Amino acid sequence: MEIKIMKNVLDRNKNKANEVRSLLQEKNVLMVNMISSPGAGKTTLLEKTLENLKNKFRIGVIEGDIATDRDAQRLKEHGVPIVVINTEGGCHLDSHSISKVLPEFNLDNIDVIFVENVGNLVCPSHFDLGETFKLALVSITEGDDKPIKYPMLFREAKVILLNKIDLIEYTNFNKAGFRVDLNNVNGKVPLFEISCTKNIGMDQWYNWISNEISSK
Amino acid sequence: MHELKIAEELIGIVIQVAETENLKKVTKVNIQFGKMIMIVPDVFHFVFDCAVKGTIARKAKLHLEILPVKFACNKCKEETQIDDLIFVCPYCGSNDLELIQGRETIIESIEGEKNG
Repeated sequence: MEIKIMKNVLDRNKNKANEVRSLLQEKNVLMVNMISSPGAGKTTLLEKTLENLKNKFRIGVIEGDIATDRDAQRLKEHGVPIVVINTEGGCHLDSHSISKVLPEFNLDNIDVIFVENVGNLVCPSHFDLGETFKLALVSITEGDDKPIKYPMLFREAKVILLNKIDLIEYTNFNKAGFRVDLNNVNGKVPLFEISCTKNIGMDQWYNWISNEISSK
Repeated sequence: MHELKIAEELIGIVIQVAETENLKKVTKVNIQFGKMIMIVPDVFHFVFDCAVKGTIARKAKLHLEILPVKFACNKCKEETQIDDLIFVCPYCGSNDLELIQGRETIIESIEGEKNG
């Protein structure tokens, strides 16, 4: 006999994500789910962003890490609340892990939480954390074919940052091709070309994110 | 490897429904994934077979259907099915589109034998 079910397999994650989203809305907290490959520069972007925005906004950080707390150590000196989620090999964060650590923040005193997801372009884009939006970070040294190869992330991200732009002359990265591919996947998304370490284009990112936090 | 997590969630639902429906074994599990989910069918079959071990669904066959991506254009209102994941309306060239299919992770049904 056949039993009809017609149910989303990821309902458990989706329901918990909706709980997280409601709580954050009630507390008026913006949550940014930062997704990139390993080594694209998520932690460096966070370091620079904290440095620039910590006197303007009340910031919290959730660090998703497969096995260590090294990223959290790098961010510690900025004096903002940081919680580490160690996925112990898991390739993405999920809404249950976020829900579990949220009580460690005083949400009444927070404007924005940056979630550094596990470095991976596939799995994290399938698990709703309850975030306000996803940010995709991609770097010049990864190659220009990422939007077309990982359309789910680039389709769903509200903002794209192209990091390590200072290295472009040492690579065969085709910026025009990258823009065409990105446009084919998501023609409406803002793209900022930046270099976190050489401080190129960072002001446009700070302005954009400040505006998102202020207008939430 | 999001396949593994999805398979675990799937088996959880299969076991729960099988218990509620008083099945003695599950013989087939029918699922649909949207193309955007980027499931590799071979990988999913492998992790499914691992995840059902020792459960009521240990002998279940998996029927996996990949649903193509479809969108509706917000400008000209035409609906399009695409294979190449290029999100541009072929009728009017707009990229202001609403995804209407391609993100699914659906368990359609299970098949099995009742107790007694």
